[in-house]
Amino acid sequence: MKIVVAYKWARNPQDAEVREDGTVDFGRSRAAVSEYDPVAFEVARRLADATGGEVIGLSVGDTSIGTSLARKAALSRGLDRLVLVADDALADADSTRLAAVLAAAVRTIEDVDLVIAGESSTDLAEGQVPLTLAAGLGWTGLAGICDVGVADEVVTVRRDLPDRRQTLLLDGPAVLSVTADAVVPRIPGMKEILAAAKKPVQVLDHASLDVTPVGAAGEASFEVLSTSRPADGTRRRVLIDGADPDTAAAGLVAALRTIGAM
Amino acid sequence: MDFALTDEQQLLLESLDELLERECQESYIAQLDLAHKPPTSFRQAMHEAGFNSLGFPEEYGGTPCDALTLMMLAERVARQGLNNGFGLELLQAMDILEFGSPEQKQQILGLLAAGEVPFALGFTEPGAGSDNSAMATSAVHHDGTVTFNGTKTLITNALQSTYLLLMAKDPGVEDPRKAISMYLVPMDAPGITTNQLDKIVWQISDSCEIFLDDVTLPESCLVGVKGQGFKQLMRNFEVERLMIAATCLGLAQCAFDDAASYAAQRVQFGRPIGTFQLIQLKLTDMAIKLENMRNFVYKTAWMVDQGLPLKSQGALCKRYCAMAGFEVADEAMQIFGGIGVTVGARVSRLWRDLRGHRFGGGTDEIMVHIAGRQIVKDHS
Repeated sequence: MKIVVAYKWARNPQDAEVREDGTVDFGRSRAAVSEYDPVAFEVARRLADATGGEVIGLSVGDTSIGTSLARKAALSRGLDRLVLVADDALADADSTRLAAVLAAAVRTIEDVDLVIAGESSTDLAEGQVPLTLAAGLGWTGLAGICDVGVADEVVTVRRDLPDRRQTLLLDGPAVLSVTADAVVPRIPGMKEILAAAKKPVQVLDHASLDVTPVGAAGEASFEVLSTSRPADGTRRRVLIDGADPDTAAAGLVAALRTIGAM
Repeated sequence: MDFALTDEQQLLLESLDELLERECQESYIAQLDLAHKPPTSFRQAMHEAGFNSLGFPEEYGGTPCDALTLMMLAERVARQGLNNGFGLELLQAMDILEFGSPEQKQQILGLLAAGEVPFALGFTEPGAGSDNSAMATSAVHHDGTVTFNGTKTLITNALQSTYLLLMAKDPGVEDPRKAISMYLVPMDAPGITTNQLDKIVWQISDSCEIFLDDVTLPESCLVGVKGQGFKQLMRNFEVERLMIAATCLGLAQCAFDDAASYAAQRVQFGRPIGTFQLIQLKLTDMAIKLENMRNFVYKTAWMVDQGLPLKSQGALCKRYCAMAGFEVADEAMQIFGGIGVTVGARVSRLWRDLRGHRFGGGTDEIMVHIAGRQIVKDHS
């Protein structure tokens, strides 16, 4: 089984600052593998180990994704090899464009059975790339996947929906977006970090890729009209006296009922 | 001079951050401190992620690692607020991996893999500490066995440990440096009793008196060469001092970060106390000390990696970092005011734990003894 993990080398929002106008300043943020993606690496690794398959990391973006640090950061997380499309022309690409380039890269890799991705990214957090990528490839796309299993070369996936739990049998290639709590990803140690430097990396030429536009216009068919800071939640400032546990519990339940949380 | 981290160091520190976030949050550390329990689950997690075998030879399942990177990891774990959370395993294993028999190596590595503390170092006695010539615990070899008698005190982690790495003296040898041997003694051997000492620092590590009354074991409990125990022990002391210095740096950085955040938020007279110059002076001097500590630790580690003789460097580094680290924590506590001395305020634990490092691993004063005579010798 050949599994591609589509991941993002993204600025860490922990160090980002939200300006008064609602825009986010990532200037002081360090880049890292997006926090949603280690789960995808882990799901892919377990699946590949169970089937004797291969895990290929795939990322597209500006040239920073191809630095030595960025490569090792991804390769230390259970990948067998890496494929990159690193071009500064992709620096501000929207998710539709990124998905189109990812689709072209997946086609170049050939014979891919499964693409797995994290459910979102730490910088844009739109959660849109996996299903757009599926559309670009003409494959099945499934979001909210919390478990992936394989038996007799048949892949089954599970997703927990608000009112039901579904187990699905995959027939053909698919793009899966896995939830952040699907598995607990392993933490790379020194052995994995040192080994990462020796794993193969293939850099695809962006200009030579056969990028097929996703959607009619080939770009997002919308325009961002405005961006603003989300409204702060209204703090109710309810204080509950904890001296007596029973009274405190009753007070907490009453307060939660008042705001409709129970 | 390049102060940038290598890719490997940066990635390893990021991995450690992930692990600390998962396995070693402040609530966990505070609970251990209150309950006087060791961080066993954290140690297990560190072992499973390969951190605790960093620096071990590959033939024992380890991964070679430079001293500078190891000190950065020790600093980072301590910065989380956990005292003595990293490095202990490496130092302990190195004694056995270098000098132990195959059976002893197997026993110790197995315990490390389970997240246990394999052994406590049985060195200090009521009448002997830094003055090892005054050691009174005896080891008498006879008929393929060895019998121990004596008392050890202030033995860290004795209750957690399966073994005691016992330093004992052959009463028949006059030269104290040739009389001391190293032994791996099971803590449950007949004739061993312990008495836990209550203390105000290092609550996650117990401290005990250990009484040895005619404890008789096969001679195979000898570690390394008979009469070379002190020399064997000294071999890893320099790295231990450096590890302590890195731990002091991390704990002090933690105290500084807490105090600086508090100063930015605590409002008095209508404004954050951090806007008052008296508080800024404290924070500035604390920051200078931290910078000095970091440079001292990193440079000393670099010297180890270069194979340069440390001479007085290890003692200077340990003395400075233990003292400066405590000064930083003391000022951090001052910035917190009364809340700083309450149980549950992290700074109070950091203050206590840093105080312990001014004698643990060698007192401030013995560091002067070690460094001072070397300095004079170098200039004679």
